[in-house]
Amino acid sequence: MSLLPSCVEVSKLLSEALDSGRPLGLHVRIHLSICAVCRRVLDHFSLIRRGAARAPEEGPSLSNEAKARLRRALDAG
Amino acid sequence: MTDPSTWVDAYGDRLFRYALSRVRDEGSAEDLIQDVFITALKSRDRYKGESSELTWMTGILRNKIFEFYRRQAKEVPLLPSDEDAGPEAEFFSGRHWISSSAPRDWGGEPARKAESAEFSAALKKCLDALTQNVARAFILREMEGVPPQDAAAALGIAPAHLAVLLYRARLRLRRCLERSHFAPEAA
Repeated sequence: MSLLPSCVEVSKLLSEALDSGRPLGLHVRIHLSICAVCRRVLDHFSLIRRGAARAPEEGPSLSNEAKARLRRALDAG
Repeated sequence: MTDPSTWVDAYGDRLFRYALSRVRDEGSAEDLIQDVFITALKSRDRYKGESSELTWMTGILRNKIFEFYRRQAKEVPLLPSDEDAGPEAEFFSGRHWISSSAPRDWGGEPARKAESAEFSAALKKCLDALTQNVARAFILREMEGVPPQDAAAALGIAPAHLAVLLYRARLRLRRCLERSHFAPEAA
């Protein structure tokens, strides 16, 4: 039995660390130092977080009907 | 503060896109924008001009989005289901990654790719492929940056359950975005 956590355990711990903000444990860091695939997971999770948090700059617009409804609501408000 | 009669033209589309990316339903997004404008109208005395009007209204919208998910979770509670089971079998065999699901090198400039309009479109498609429970958890935590304790409380679940949903969301979105956006040639 290995003393180091497996890729399954490491991927789970990386996800948890993103939420707890706690530093990664020694065994996880050792695993990452020898496992390029799990290092990618850490990078990918972080990139997805950064991209997902941004406000979309392009995309659909309000329809004319919706704009008219909003103007009426503001007038009545 | 600008004349409220100009708000729809000045801010409507940007607020709508933001809301739509978070609630994923045009009718709900429009309702939220209407709520935002009415709240802004009623509380404009409190606007101090320390940020732009758009930033101020986006802050109001983010509160409305949080309330939207809290209300939705009360109406349709997240029930213990297959979401409680870990996603390991989809991605791992024993201790290691299944080769078809192992993260690949995203090459190029992935940071720039994560900030593109194409990323937003790919993320939307990948979110649509998640179950509702998993998507709600991801939207609140990762898109809206809600602290885990607050996100779990809003969804009416234990923090440990939220952690499972987020783990599943991250693994599935990572794979989906890799195949559709970051490294489609390797898929």
